[in-house]
Amino acid sequence: MAPSLNDDSPPSTIDEAFTENNLQPFFVLQKGSSRKSDRKSSGTGRTRRIDLSSASPKNSANIEDEKEDENMNLRMEAFEFVWSKIESTIKDVLRDINTNVFSEIQTWVHQSFDTIRSLGTPEFPEATQSFPIISDANSKRLFTGLVLTKNMEFVDDLLTFEELGKHLKYQGYRVANLSSLDFTAKNGVGGCLRSLLRQFLMSSLDPADMSILASWYREENCNNPVVVIIDDIERCCGSVLSDFILMLSEWVIKIPVILIMGVATTLDAPRNILPSNALRCLCPFEFTLGTPAERMDAVVEAVLVKPCSGFIIGHKVAVFMRNYFVSQDGTLTSFIRALKIACTQHFYTEPLSVILLEFASEEDNLVLEIERHGLLPEVLWKHVFELPSCQRVRLNKPTSESLAHAFSEWKRLQNQWRAVVLCLYATGKGEKVRLLDLFCEAIDPKSYNQGEFDTNMKAEKDPVLSSSRIKGHVICKAVRLVRDLSTVQLGNLLKIWENLTVGIPEINGKVKELLSLLNVEDGKSSKKDLIVTPRRHTSRIQLNIEKDSKSLSDRAANLIECMVRDYMHPIECIPFHEIFCFKDVDKLRLALIGDPRRRIQVDLLEFQKLLCCRCCTSSSNALLPSMHDASIMYKLAQEHGDLINLHDWYQSFKSIVLCPNSKRKPRRSPLPKKRKGIKEAESQSEASIQARFCGAVTELQITGLLRMPSKRRPDFAQRVAFGL
Amino acid sequence: MDFNAAEEEEFGFSRNYFLAKEMGSSGKKSARKLSDINVVDEQELREASANIEPKHQNDVADLINSYKSLYPKWVFDLRCGFGLLMYGFGSKKSLIEDFASTALAEHSVVVINGYLQSINIKQVIIALAEILWEQLKLNRKVSSGSLPKVQQPFSSRSMDDLLSFLDGPQMDEKDNFICVVVNNIDGPGLRDTETQQYLARLASCSYIRVVASIDHVNAPLLWDKKMVHAQFNWYWYHVPTFAPYKVEGLFLPLILAHGSSKQSAKTALIVLQSLTPNAQSVFRILAEYQLSHPDDEGMAIDNLYSISRERFLVSSQVTLNAHLTEFKDHELVKTKRHSDGQDCLYIPLTKEGLEKLLSEIS
Repeated sequence: MAPSLNDDSPPSTIDEAFTENNLQPFFVLQKGSSRKSDRKSSGTGRTRRIDLSSASPKNSANIEDEKEDENMNLRMEAFEFVWSKIESTIKDVLRDINTNVFSEIQTWVHQSFDTIRSLGTPEFPEATQSFPIISDANSKRLFTGLVLTKNMEFVDDLLTFEELGKHLKYQGYRVANLSSLDFTAKNGVGGCLRSLLRQFLMSSLDPADMSILASWYREENCNNPVVVIIDDIERCCGSVLSDFILMLSEWVIKIPVILIMGVATTLDAPRNILPSNALRCLCPFEFTLGTPAERMDAVVEAVLVKPCSGFIIGHKVAVFMRNYFVSQDGTLTSFIRALKIACTQHFYTEPLSVILLEFASEEDNLVLEIERHGLLPEVLWKHVFELPSCQRVRLNKPTSESLAHAFSEWKRLQNQWRAVVLCLYATGKGEKVRLLDLFCEAIDPKSYNQGEFDTNMKAEKDPVLSSSRIKGHVICKAVRLVRDLSTVQLGNLLKIWENLTVGIPEINGKVKELLSLLNVEDGKSSKKDLIVTPRRHTSRIQLNIEKDSKSLSDRAANLIECMVRDYMHPIECIPFHEIFCFKDVDKLRLALIGDPRRRIQVDLLEFQKLLCCRCCTSSSNALLPSMHDASIMYKLAQEHGDLINLHDWYQSFKSIVLCPNSKRKPRRSPLPKKRKGIKEAESQSEASIQARFCGAVTELQITGLLRMPSKRRPDFAQRVAFGL
Repeated sequence: MDFNAAEEEEFGFSRNYFLAKEMGSSGKKSARKLSDINVVDEQELREASANIEPKHQNDVADLINSYKSLYPKWVFDLRCGFGLLMYGFGSKKSLIEDFASTALAEHSVVVINGYLQSINIKQVIIALAEILWEQLKLNRKVSSGSLPKVQQPFSSRSMDDLLSFLDGPQMDEKDNFICVVVNNIDGPGLRDTETQQYLARLASCSYIRVVASIDHVNAPLLWDKKMVHAQFNWYWYHVPTFAPYKVEGLFLPLILAHGSSKQSAKTALIVLQSLTPNAQSVFRILAEYQLSHPDDEGMAIDNLYSISRERFLVSSQVTLNAHLTEFKDHELVKTKRHSDGQDCLYIPLTKEGLEKLLSEIS
């Protein structure tokens, strides 16, 4: 039982309760009150808003507060809406990527099942017992699908295997998902069997036994295979896994189990972890999933490039997320998490982000009903027209019409941007151009405002004037690729472009024009091919054709260059983008990657900056006795090697604590010299200094910056961190 | 660019490390002993450390108060499904408990004190399940639905069952969650892999939100990517408080107070209580001998054997040796070479400690 579940009576004083609770392993701080219903009603602010406006007049501060609250709730709602949209989009994309593999696996499962069944089905009593033992090697073979994930990071594949399980379940198969945690040496083979029973029988019987499973299968009267999915065999305990395989193979005639195992490295993996007798039971087949980079591009395309939720990240944020993915974490999961953090931050800080709720759901003609968003109109207008991007364009009259107009303009520009980016991506796809890199360059506001234009509205209004130089390595590469295309490839590409630019007549027209030119050329060349010509002419004709196609691909390259220049407005150059776009990269970094190792040390070394006390702010680096004990000690420790002599450390600590007025630099001189200010020394008893020393050491020990003396070296503590 | 900076940083680390190593071994290493310090009596030391006057009390209070403005943000993050992870120097216990009791007043809050030496995670999860059950029952009464009956009391259910109950589908209300505050999720009581796995699974449950604090600089090493990204879903907050680590440090030994008194009577008692009565009696013989012969270096093994045999405590040298091995393993007893060349046994405890111990085990 919980130790303190029973004392419902509130403790007399909070302090008392706390000290008593401090020594409990856990305690109930408070139980949820029924006030929840209160909040709930304000949570669905939209319906309540009407009563609010008609309510008796209150003082303005109150109303403002209430509005603020309401706005916050609405933002929460908007966040939930937007994020669920993003999340489901991601899920769909990932599922689509795997569809082919999934159906391949499904067919294989079916075939394997037929093979097993062709060996005959045992009679009832036999089917639920482990005897007689099957000796025929053929009927002990366990069909095993090895799914190569091509990804060392198994986090990204958790969802894949979950989806695979769902997919197979949908076909009527019995499916159990096991993770490497089920195959630990501690629980042994009983652990995974229990997990199987839990998933199949929905109950946890303690004496886990295969015969239970067998009779369940019999009772279910199943004519379907039983699929067991293990998400990452490399993290499983080898001996447990081999026991499990041996056990299943004994029963495979009675329970037609088909194994599917995730492999992160190579096909050798099973050979490395399983003994030969277990390997002999396996009858492996190989399947391959898409690479993480492919998945990443698909997700970026669906969530960040194509219209999904209206929420967008700024250039710096995108670059940070890209770098974090490429050189630090490498998982799609963390990329998505970063996106979610960015999204939360955005909805929390930007009052107008509420608009996204409608922006995402309504197609066109967004009519802004300011009142609806729980903001006072004055506050809102002030906020809108104080957005830096808005100040640049200087709308003449702050009305909701002008705002609505700005939003439709925003949508238009976004569509153009998207079309260009997708065209570029279509061009570079075969040549290892990653959409993530392309995206990062395409939203760089500098690439747009470069050259003789500075970041003023002029550049935004007449984008045609900007220089022909295109910034960005990946974009350049894509453009260069167009020049090298053959006629056929160019034709294909142009067709893709045509499809991508539907809805943007300016670009679409030009693409069509090129395409028709190409068709004419095509016709010409094929006609020429038909005519039998003397030998010496052929080469010239060939040359001509090449020249023609050269000029055509040049024109195509010019077209895409021009598209990049004129139609790829980075989001951060469009007015009002602050409403949709999250740009605060530092906040994101702090929330995503805590860096305790560095920051805790900085806390200790530069604590004055945080505490802002008057006593310790001195320009010099001198250690003052008024400083935090742990800070003094840690600064002193910096002067030691990897081992700190406790005696010396104590003496330096003591000398600093005892001489408040000397602004000397800390020295390692351990000798406690007799000083003149000895009276002060006496006032502080030896015991209290020792106690402070001990306390500071304990605190450093808790932070893990110090290792306590070992038996071998009782007089030395060990430093753990060297440098920040 | 970024990459170079990271490389440079890494290089800096190793350089610093070797520099420090060099400093340590270059002969400058001081050979002074801890015992050169005139260490005061342990009792006095403990008293003094209880009376240390905290520095910058007001500034610390201001700093902690300044975090109050973040409370709404924290609630927002929790509602978005993140777990909050607080780090930075100083005890964060009161800060997060204050946050939980003020900003999450309408939610149930359970606090786990990770700084304690041992915590039974299953009991915590049982308690959570019970709270959730009550909460659901309460809500259901209002909405006039009926819950399926509990077939089994929570305390006898398996971990998997409990966790899947806590991970149940959120029916009527989205914000219906229980907040689990974990003080020092990197603390000694929670540091093992299994507990961390359970905590991670707990954190991923739909009815649970976690607010945790860490103090150790290497705490993130406790988690793999699955735990960090898919289960805990941490949202990091750097909130140094500079508040003294009072409770957190309660169970750590004072560095100047170890030595002979390190093996305190209390730990010896715990070990002894787990032994058989016969073993306890053998220990008693040794202890009584040591008390009655304070000037002796120890008790000869032969002597101990004959007395134990007389009292029918052991039947052979082998059984005695088994007991002695047990004692030595737990550092209850040590051997010393007697001046006449014979091995003898002694208990590394003070006279007072030994007396106290004897009275406790009787």
